[in-house]
Amino acid sequence: MNETGLRELSEKLIGTEIKAELLHLFHMNPGILDTVESIARRVGRMPKDVETEISPLVELGVLRKERFGNLDVVSLNMSKDREIQKKIAELIEGSAKK
Amino acid sequence: MRAPTGISELDAMLHGGLMRGDVTLVVGSAGTGKTTLALQYLVNGATKFNENGLYITFEQMPSQIYRDAASFGWNIRKLEAEGKLRVVCTSPPVLVQFVEERNPIDAMIAEINAKRIVVDSISHLESFIPASELRGELYRLINHLKMKELTSVFTAESHEVFGNHLVVTGVGLSFLVDCIILLRIVEIQSSLKKALTILKIRGSDHDKQLREFEITSQGVKVAAPFSQYEGILTGAPRRSMTEAFTEAFKKGKRI
Repeated sequence: MNETGLRELSEKLIGTEIKAELLHLFHMNPGILDTVESIARRVGRMPKDVETEISPLVELGVLRKERFGNLDVVSLNMSKDREIQKKIAELIEGSAKK
Repeated sequence: MRAPTGISELDAMLHGGLMRGDVTLVVGSAGTGKTTLALQYLVNGATKFNENGLYITFEQMPSQIYRDAASFGWNIRKLEAEGKLRVVCTSPPVLVQFVEERNPIDAMIAEINAKRIVVDSISHLESFIPASELRGELYRLINHLKMKELTSVFTAESHEVFGNHLVVTGVGLSFLVDCIILLRIVEIQSSLKKALTILKIRGSDHDKQLREFEITSQGVKVAAPFSQYEGILTGAPRRSMTEAFTEAFKKGKRI
C-alpha cells in the first residue's frame, strides 16, 4: 500500500508540470488569495489550463476555492497542506523501511 | 490619537505619527521607496507598538517581499508565524470584493486583530476598474477600512520622475485620503537624491519642509531639510538667495 499510496498521492499533487508549478507558487507565497485568471498570470500559463489543474488540488484539499462576491478565489489550505506533507513523509519512511 | 510609523524623524514631521483611523497616501515614482516605507510602518507597528498589520500586494510576490524585507533585518515570515503580520497577495478585483460580507480579508483582520493595513499599490486598481467607477469604489474601500478602525497606508505610483508637473493620482484620490506623503527623486549638483515632504494632513498641523531621505540597511532614514535649495520639486533646483549670498560673501565676491 505504501509505494502505491505514495505514487497515487504524488500523481495527484505533482502529476503535471502545471500542478507542480502551482504547488511551488503557493508554498513560496502562502498568502496568495486570488482568482484563477490572476494565478494563471502569476505562473505564466493560460487560465483554462490552470483551472483544469487546480481542480484536483482543490478536491484533495490542498487548495481552497471559495466564492467571494462574484468571484471564485483560490488560496492555500495550510492545515490540510501540513497534513498531506506529514502523510507523504510517513509514506516515504514506510517505503524506505521495506 | 496617533499611530507612529516608528521612523522617528518622519513621526516628528507628522507631529507624532499618522492620525489613527486615517488613510495615508504615499506617492512616488518607481524606486523612491514607497514599498519600503509602507512595510517599515507595518513591521514597526508589530514589533514596537503592539499593533498587528496586514500587507496587501498586487504585483510583487510575497516571496520577493520576504527577501527584500530580510535585507533590512525584518523577518516577515517570523512575524506571520507569530500572528503579528500577514502578507496577502491578490488582485484589484478581489480587493474590491473586500467590502462584501464575510470575506477572507476581513476574517484575517479579525484573526490577527490588525490595527494597520497597507495596500501596495492602489494605482493597480486603475487597470482593473472602469474609470467611471474608480472613485466610487475607492471611496467605498476607504470607508470600509475606516469602519474597521484601521490606520491605512496606500501607495500610489507617480509617473513623473522629474519635472514641474505633479499629478498625485488621476481620479481625485488625493481628496479622498486624509494624509499625503510625497516621495521624489531630485537632482542636486549632478547627484540623484531622494526627497520627502508631507503635502497634507486633514485636521492636524505638520512639518512643511522638504527633507532628504535615504534607504539604509535599517530602512527609511529621514535627514535634514534641503534648506540650501529652492525649486526642488520642479526638478530644477537652484541655490536659495540666502545661500548664494553667504557663499559669495565667503568668497569675497559680489552676487
